[in-house]
Amino acid sequence: MTKQATTPAEAVIGQAIDRVDGRLKVTGRAKYASEFPVEGLVYAQGVNSTIAKGDITRIDTAAAEAQPGVIRVITHENALKLASPDADRLELSTTSIAPVLQSPEINWYGEWVAVVVAETIEQAQYAARLVEVEYNRAEPKVDFAQDAGYAPDVQPKYERGDVDAGMAEADERVEVTYRTPVEHHHPMELHAVIAEWEDENLELHLCSQMVNDNAKGIADTFMIPKENVRIIAPFIGGGFGSKLQAQEHVMLAAMAAKMIGRPVQFTVTRQQMFTNTSLRQENLQRMRIGATRDGRLTALVHDTTSHTATNKEYQEPCGAASKMLYKVANNRVNYNLVPINLPYPWAMRAPGEATGSYALECAMDEMAWKLGMDPVEFRILNDTQVDPSNDKPFSSRLLTECLRIGAKKFGWADRPLEPRSRREGNWLVGYGVSAASRQAPLQLSAARVTVYRDGDTVTATVQTDATDIGTGTYTILAQTAADFLGIPVAAVTVQLGDSRFPISPGSGGSWGAASFTNGVRAACMKLMEEIKVAAGTDATEGQGIADLMDDADLSEYAAVGSAAPTEEFKNHSVYSFGANFCEVWVDVDTNMARLKRILTVGAAGTILNPKTAYSQVLGGLVMGHGMAFMEQSKVEKQYGNFITRSLADYHVPVNLDLADVQVVFLPEDDKIANPMGVKGIGELGICGVAGSLANAVFNATGKRMRDLPITPEKLITTKIEPGVTVSR
Amino acid sequence: MRPFNFIPSATVADAVSASTANPEPRYLGGGTNLIDLMKEDVERPDTVIEVASLDRKEIQRTPSGGLLLGGMLNNTDTANHPDVRKDYPLLTMTMLSAATEQIRNMATNGGNLLQRTRCPYFYETSMPCNKREPGTGCGALNGMNALHAIFGWSEACVAVHPSDMCVALAAIGATVEVAKPDGTSRRIPFTDLHRLPGDEPQRDTILEPGELIVGIELDAPKYADHYYYLKIRERSSYAFALLSVAAGLQVENGRIASAGLAMGGVAHKPWKLTAAEDYLRGKAPETGNFEAAAAIAMQDARPLAENEYKIEMGQRAIVRALEQAYARKA
Repeated sequence: MTKQATTPAEAVIGQAIDRVDGRLKVTGRAKYASEFPVEGLVYAQGVNSTIAKGDITRIDTAAAEAQPGVIRVITHENALKLASPDADRLELSTTSIAPVLQSPEINWYGEWVAVVVAETIEQAQYAARLVEVEYNRAEPKVDFAQDAGYAPDVQPKYERGDVDAGMAEADERVEVTYRTPVEHHHPMELHAVIAEWEDENLELHLCSQMVNDNAKGIADTFMIPKENVRIIAPFIGGGFGSKLQAQEHVMLAAMAAKMIGRPVQFTVTRQQMFTNTSLRQENLQRMRIGATRDGRLTALVHDTTSHTATNKEYQEPCGAASKMLYKVANNRVNYNLVPINLPYPWAMRAPGEATGSYALECAMDEMAWKLGMDPVEFRILNDTQVDPSNDKPFSSRLLTECLRIGAKKFGWADRPLEPRSRREGNWLVGYGVSAASRQAPLQLSAARVTVYRDGDTVTATVQTDATDIGTGTYTILAQTAADFLGIPVAAVTVQLGDSRFPISPGSGGSWGAASFTNGVRAACMKLMEEIKVAAGTDATEGQGIADLMDDADLSEYAAVGSAAPTEEFKNHSVYSFGANFCEVWVDVDTNMARLKRILTVGAAGTILNPKTAYSQVLGGLVMGHGMAFMEQSKVEKQYGNFITRSLADYHVPVNLDLADVQVVFLPEDDKIANPMGVKGIGELGICGVAGSLANAVFNATGKRMRDLPITPEKLITTKIEPGVTVSR
Repeated sequence: MRPFNFIPSATVADAVSASTANPEPRYLGGGTNLIDLMKEDVERPDTVIEVASLDRKEIQRTPSGGLLLGGMLNNTDTANHPDVRKDYPLLTMTMLSAATEQIRNMATNGGNLLQRTRCPYFYETSMPCNKREPGTGCGALNGMNALHAIFGWSEACVAVHPSDMCVALAAIGATVEVAKPDGTSRRIPFTDLHRLPGDEPQRDTILEPGELIVGIELDAPKYADHYYYLKIRERSSYAFALLSVAAGLQVENGRIASAGLAMGGVAHKPWKLTAAEDYLRGKAPETGNFEAAAAIAMQDARPLAENEYKIEMGQRAIVRALEQAYARKA
């Protein structure tokens, strides 16, 4: 065995190492929630409502129960009593309760009306077809109008200056409404859970982004102490926000397990993931922008109307970036929420920013064109180093640098100034740009680090309830521990996703990488300090951990540490920034649009691992591309269901749609953000992407596409914007 | 999925006799459509007769110079067969634009012809659909019909046929060989196989119960030099056509000797543009003539509330497909 270096070699943080869990994943040995072998496991299949509004008048389970292997059919008539919400509309959060099957009332098409439990999954699926439900059907309300809602408490109205005065003093005005449709998270791993009770203790194998918050939501739903709930979630096949909260099917699995006294596995089908695992809400965003002739913003108004369910409330903050991205004295951000009979909305990747940046960045492009200014220069002119929404300085903000460097690398100077002026054969060619911003939060995050010495060799185990939802948490925590303990990455074992481990904030809101790594760093530093103390006078500067443990006569040692935001953090606005540049080709006859290339420049602090970071941003770009050109659920107005019923109808990009994708990270050292200097990138990658594509479509075709997605059907029926010169 | 009786078959004779001897039979080819429909509870066969393994996987030259495509051969092997690529590149191009490689590897030629519409009202058993459940009404007629027919629809059904391959077959010309339950066989001109919905939308084709497609005989090749399949869709793969055009031109001495032209995504059957084909014969292969042919093709279009866009899209697509066909040298 070779002796480990006594001083840390070259830092592994910042190196593009392979995922430490990559081999487990590609060999199928990484276990996901539904795959755990549990003695006596039985299977549950959910049954969905086939009306969007009304009441169940009769539910006949006899035929289902008569089938071989069927153990129990649970409906609102025999369900366990669960906690009830304290408002007509349950306000959704990462810890919210999720009562289910508590009444005959139907709020949306596809709502759970029963669950069938059987010895095999096939028996459960077949019996589920045999549950007969009769309804008293009421006329569903699935369309929503701008004026029919209410102001949600969760997103209070924000205003600074005087927007009417600001609009009045403007030389040019843009006043337009953008629409974005219902979208779905659809992570690759289906929502799945195995629930098992032992007396009053509940153990769940659960695909969960936030183990600790989910334990609370589940405990509160069943009205038991949180300590009674254990969640095990080592691997999660994506979430995009849909696994932030423990949703109704988790409660159904736990309820069924309790009622029959056996462990129950519940997997939500791909089709049910359109209706039962939350979605991105439909939004109408009314933008009003005023600017002086020389390009300075005088007013920016962002009014959002969104749908919510009739029984659950969520509002994505579409106006988040409009408050802080540009220097403008007069600003208003407001929300109007309309309850209708559609499934409940919830946070989906960059909630608010993904959709809000589409409206903001398109409106900025519309204004730049009206002013006759280059859209890159227009943005730079209105850049600011002080957050105008709270007058705090940004901890670091390299937006102008992202735009300038991006423009140079992309070849922005070649952009045709006049829309619809560049042709390549049958293709109209256009370039588009957008700015991107995403808050870079830090949350209290703890970890336990245990080191083991065997002669000269030290290995370490890191434990935290943090999750790896495909983002690379295992890898970046191994890199962090390796550097702060001075041992190789291969000597570090990372264990995640168990609610018995020290508490992290979980994966969400782009705070994971920063919070987890700072927590692990703190635990490692604490451990090193304590070992140095134990080594006493023998400890010398620069001594490695093996020698220190040797001097302290230790073969094993553990420490728990945590990190939290500092005062300096709180006195700053902390964000990641970026710029997207893209080239889109639109066929002049068929109106099919193709993304040819896209370049993103991001400034997101320390890049822990360029490989996993690239992968994150690439995923965001693809998701933004899908949002711009194809993703939508279409609502049947008479019946209230989605007529896009599967991934054959609900289109996401395929490999052949993908373009030349370049991701550039600017070096940024921001120790105000946190000691590791890490800022989130999981959501930055999608921000502004749809806007840049829509802007490129305008540059190519002269058409302003204010209703996503931009399909051939919409492009062929949209008129060329007045003022655009048309040659063909 | 509901329980069903599964019958493997060794010969065509076995398969067709099994279909008469058992209740509610369906033939199972590659399973890329039937199995989906069974999972969705749309198709509820009591008997599933496996036919994909039957010995009809040939590609053979016919006496008239055409090709016989075995009904059980998969779409990938058909599209990539050297003789198909050489003589019928329009068919190759069309078939390779369909679905995905994985689906094409499974799907049989016979099954491709018999795939059912992707109309969401047909798929969703809680909504009305005359094709799925005669007499319940057509949900799409006054509902979500952006993806529906502009030609040949009836009050009873506005669904479209989803196949790409069939659009090329309509342009090229073909004859379908069908095995009958009594052990005999019959031949059906391809354009007669599929029917318009009328008041019996539950019948996609003129096939009688128990009849099995065993082969597709292509007309002698004419469009090996000038061909194009234009498929307008929302993404580059794994998407049905909003609208498509298969175009083949035979050009002799600067004149169009023969034109093969058909559209997909516009009707209950692959929509052969016979009047436009006739118009083009003897004309010069020029954009002006293509535009006139397209106008003829589109003149009977009757859009629904949400699919008027297909009129302009169809007009442009026909012109464009003809231009590209002419410009394309095999």
